[in-house]
Amino acid sequence: MSETPNKNVIVFALLLSVICSLMITAAAVGLKGFQTANMELDKKINILKAANLIGKKKPSKKAINVLYNTHIKEVIVDDQGKVIDNHVSNSLNLYFYQQDNSVKGYILPINTQGLWGKIQGYLAFENDGQTVSGFSIFSHSETPGLGGEIESTWFQKNFKGKKILNAQNKFVSIGIAKGKSINLPKDKQAHFVDGISGATLTGRYLSEGIKKTLIKYDPVSITFRQKQLKAHKD
Amino acid sequence: MSEEKANYIEIVTRGIWKENPVAYQVLGICSALAVTVKMSTAIVMGIALTLVTAFSSLLISSLRKKIPSNIRIIAELAIIASLVIVTDQILKAFFYDISKQLSIFVGLIITNCIVLGRAEAFALANKPLESFFDGIGNGLGYSLVLICVAFLRELLGSGKFFGFNIIPQFIFDAGYQNMGLMVLAPGAFFIIGLLVWLKNSLPGISKEQG
Repeated sequence: MSETPNKNVIVFALLLSVICSLMITAAAVGLKGFQTANMELDKKINILKAANLIGKKKPSKKAINVLYNTHIKEVIVDDQGKVIDNHVSNSLNLYFYQQDNSVKGYILPINTQGLWGKIQGYLAFENDGQTVSGFSIFSHSETPGLGGEIESTWFQKNFKGKKILNAQNKFVSIGIAKGKSINLPKDKQAHFVDGISGATLTGRYLSEGIKKTLIKYDPVSITFRQKQLKAHKD
Repeated sequence: MSEEKANYIEIVTRGIWKENPVAYQVLGICSALAVTVKMSTAIVMGIALTLVTAFSSLLISSLRKKIPSNIRIIAELAIIASLVIVTDQILKAFFYDISKQLSIFVGLIITNCIVLGRAEAFALANKPLESFFDGIGNGLGYSLVLICVAFLRELLGSGKFFGFNIIPQFIFDAGYQNMGLMVLAPGAFFIIGLLVWLKNSLPGISKEQG
């Protein structure tokens, strides 16, 4: 070990840090365009997945764009659940799933805190305003193999057909059960999905986040329920 | 010139076979368990690690006389970490799906003992080009093990090869089942253990080294 003057050490460390940070910055800035394009496409795929428009097989990039443009429409609603043109305070973003000019359902963005970081995904409802038609996650930082299982197909399929209203038409939200939902009392089964073993906390955070989102978007769901009632009366 | 060439080939093959990082040096086991459920992730991880090891060895070796010895490890880690972040960015830009599946494991290349191990054991004492080939050899050795493990795990665990079903339906009908254990990390442990035993029991492997 040779005796190195401290000055040399500091100069070397500084130079190395500057070079390394320049390299990282160049890569991050230079590749940003590609990355955002990928993320946009991934978002579209997940919206389509939540709406059950695509299954396990991934269609081509072009097919995804076509599907998205024909069926999905991004809308803004005010706090009464009415569709408006521009953002106002308390306005919310969501997506309509359209087929042949009628709204078949709606898709809410889920943006919530998980155990280790943000969980982002989509929750789709049928146009009765209470039945879940699909669920998908496109970004999370949960532990792979445990909480990370929220991105697996079996877990996301789990949500289909669950209801956010109970038999008395009261809002109860949907939650993630501890273990299988089939082991719960009968009146709860429609509001809980099968949990992931080893990921109790992720489940708890996600249940909480879904509930908050649903309360925030409740005016939209109510509008859909009223429309449904009217259609029945007519 | 040809002697040099032979030397490089020697270095590369040593990394792939004789001193294979997983089977001989028993390094990088953690990620070998994690990314070998499917062939596609294993191959991308192998390529990423090979590139990072090769270039970090090259850089560290060319700086080996400049790096002050008392901040040696920090300097090596800074170089490795920067390279890993750049690799991660590239994967996110061009292999988005696979980068999502690899999730944190690309970032964890930084802590993969193979990279730092080769930097310490080889790059600091050898010329840049030799270190580069040493990195390639070790990266390929790691990839080779990963691919073998992933092949067996994907085949036995989900009956697939590169995502295609290859076990015909009538075998399932006859009562065959996928082996659930293979999809989980312990399955990889068993396979790696068996591979190491197999490799070391093959004739022609010198046992006196190490």
